[in-house]
Amino acid sequence: MAVATEDFAPTIALEGARKQRGNLTQARIRWMILAVVLGFGLVGGRLVQLGMVETDQTIEGQARDLITATRPPILDRNGLEMAVDIRVPSLYAEPRRIIDVEEAVSALRSVLPDLDETWLRNRLSGDQGFVWVRRELTPAIQDAVMRLGIPGVDFITESKRFYPAMNEAAHVLGSTNVDNQGIAGIERHMDSESVALLQDLGLARGNALTPVELSVDMRVQHVMHEQLVDAMTRYQAIAAAGVMMDIHTGEVIALASVPDFNPNEPATALVKDSFNRITAGIFEPGSIFKTVTIAGALDSGSVAITDQFDARYGIRFGRYTIDDFHGKHRILTLPEVYKYSSNIGTIRIMQTLGKDNFRAFLGRMKFDERVDFELPEMRVPTVPKELSEVGAATASFGHGLSVSPLHMVTAYAAFANGGNYIAPTLYKRDIAEAEALYERVISPETSDSMRYLMRLNALEGSGSQMNKAAQGYRAGGKTGTAEKVVDGRYSSSKVTNFFASAFPLDNPRYAMVIMVDEPKAENPQSGTTAGWNAGAISGRVIQRVAPMLGVAPDFSEAIDQQIVPPVLR
Amino acid sequence: MIRNLNIFLLFASVALLAGVYALKFSIEGTASERTALIAQIDDQEGQLSLLKADWAVLNQPGHIDPIVQRHQVELAIGPVQQQQFGSFAGLPMRPVAPDTAGMDALFAAIADGIDPIDAILQMEGIE
Repeated sequence: MAVATEDFAPTIALEGARKQRGNLTQARIRWMILAVVLGFGLVGGRLVQLGMVETDQTIEGQARDLITATRPPILDRNGLEMAVDIRVPSLYAEPRRIIDVEEAVSALRSVLPDLDETWLRNRLSGDQGFVWVRRELTPAIQDAVMRLGIPGVDFITESKRFYPAMNEAAHVLGSTNVDNQGIAGIERHMDSESVALLQDLGLARGNALTPVELSVDMRVQHVMHEQLVDAMTRYQAIAAAGVMMDIHTGEVIALASVPDFNPNEPATALVKDSFNRITAGIFEPGSIFKTVTIAGALDSGSVAITDQFDARYGIRFGRYTIDDFHGKHRILTLPEVYKYSSNIGTIRIMQTLGKDNFRAFLGRMKFDERVDFELPEMRVPTVPKELSEVGAATASFGHGLSVSPLHMVTAYAAFANGGNYIAPTLYKRDIAEAEALYERVISPETSDSMRYLMRLNALEGSGSQMNKAAQGYRAGGKTGTAEKVVDGRYSSSKVTNFFASAFPLDNPRYAMVIMVDEPKAENPQSGTTAGWNAGAISGRVIQRVAPMLGVAPDFSEAIDQQIVPPVLR
Repeated sequence: MIRNLNIFLLFASVALLAGVYALKFSIEGTASERTALIAQIDDQEGQLSLLKADWAVLNQPGHIDPIVQRHQVELAIGPVQQQQFGSFAGLPMRPVAPDTAGMDALFAAIADGIDPIDAILQMEGIE
């Protein structure tokens, strides 16, 4: 060994032993520093890498925030909840974490037996990070699934819309889909306004959202809905609808249309015929349109309330003769034309006004455009641009043009409130805000005359069925029996009946339109004209709701005398 | 001197180490407590939302009306009729002078142990 070392040792040492050791140490230190730098570099690199990773926050393409997002509660005008959010558990799975798919499938099906086996197996196998299994379950099912202890299956709390009034305000509220987006009614309108934006920003969480206050009064809405449902059986009608409006503010107090749907089960909204007849239905209004003709004529000054009109003979237009339903065949005064609902008299009034002036008045009353209203379900009315002689004659008593009941209630509101057109709304609006929106359509004096005519018709004319029930509430209105077109001809057996009213007429506050589609006579003694059904419903509704709305009955005849125009006293 | 300082620093660092660890664990404890509270609040908010929905259902006129109708006969109630409204003008005027003789008779009767209210209560079948 000693020999070998000696052989290989350098013969000449240029550096001393001390210096050699120093060099060695320095080299070691360098290696050490390199190792430390590498180590830190590794850690730093990993940190950067981790920082770059984006965790998947979406659930099947939707942000998690969007699913847990809530909608503001909807309250009626008295603060009663019409729509609230409830938190419900929804079951989801993470297929990539499921160990035994078969076991998971059989276990899940023991709690949710209606899940399809192959569908569930396909759903749970694969490499996805998130799949829904069943949404909007009950807490009891949540407990049962949790007790199964399947790995990779969990719950998320979702917000679900709940409508405590069930069917009653269905057409006002509309409904939402499973992702909590409004698909109809005021819910859809709210989305287009602001809620969707809040949800997108992820701000719509928790209970912090300000409630939305509607103008609807649930008590009145309930009475209206109940009466309409009752009408469906009482008169064997195919549909019925009603709307009530505050004539000074334009707030809609109640709006119902049957057949309707349960907004808690949005699928029921797709059932045929359950559309909103008040806004999305357009009908020939029939005789309730005579009020419009007379208001226009009186306001123009071409006709005075004391004028008389020849209703002795029907009016001929070529081959057709227009005659009266309750024909008196004598000379009628203007209040009599209204009271007896004389077609001939109304045509004469329209002719005195002039058909172009009449058409211009329809435009002023906004009968040829959509009503400015929140609900998305609206139809454009069909009113001819130019009226021929015959067209104007039929239009004067509400045939040959189609408008929605909402148009009619808005017009009646304007006639009763002193002559100001105010667009209806479903949101709360106070009188000051409304006054800023007023558009004068008729003079206050004409409005006074119209109130007198409506009250007169309730006391002596076709509104007496209504007045019998609503005794003391000074209600008045006009009936309208519009014959339906069946196979291109007007049918006398199939009719759409209307009753447009306002109350209390000494100091009017509310206007209402009730519609009954294809009613039959309630009993052999009654008829199928509007007074028997739409009128009677109006009377019963007024009787029930007037006390709720703070209208006290008053039987004194002096009140009815007061609204008679001075020239007729 | 340096040696003493080193010993002091050594002890100080051990103490700080222990302190930092204690802080770390306590914060972890607080964090898990917070998570549990959030979960509890979430759960209770969920239950609250259900209760509120229940309350809203029970308050609906559409829910109360059928109950009223079920008990209409037993409780002898019905929708308010026009004739049931009164006004201040409809109230009779106050009598000019109190009915002294009638009051005296009443007090005398009560003093004798005859309470006219008893008769009314018996008639109504309350007692």
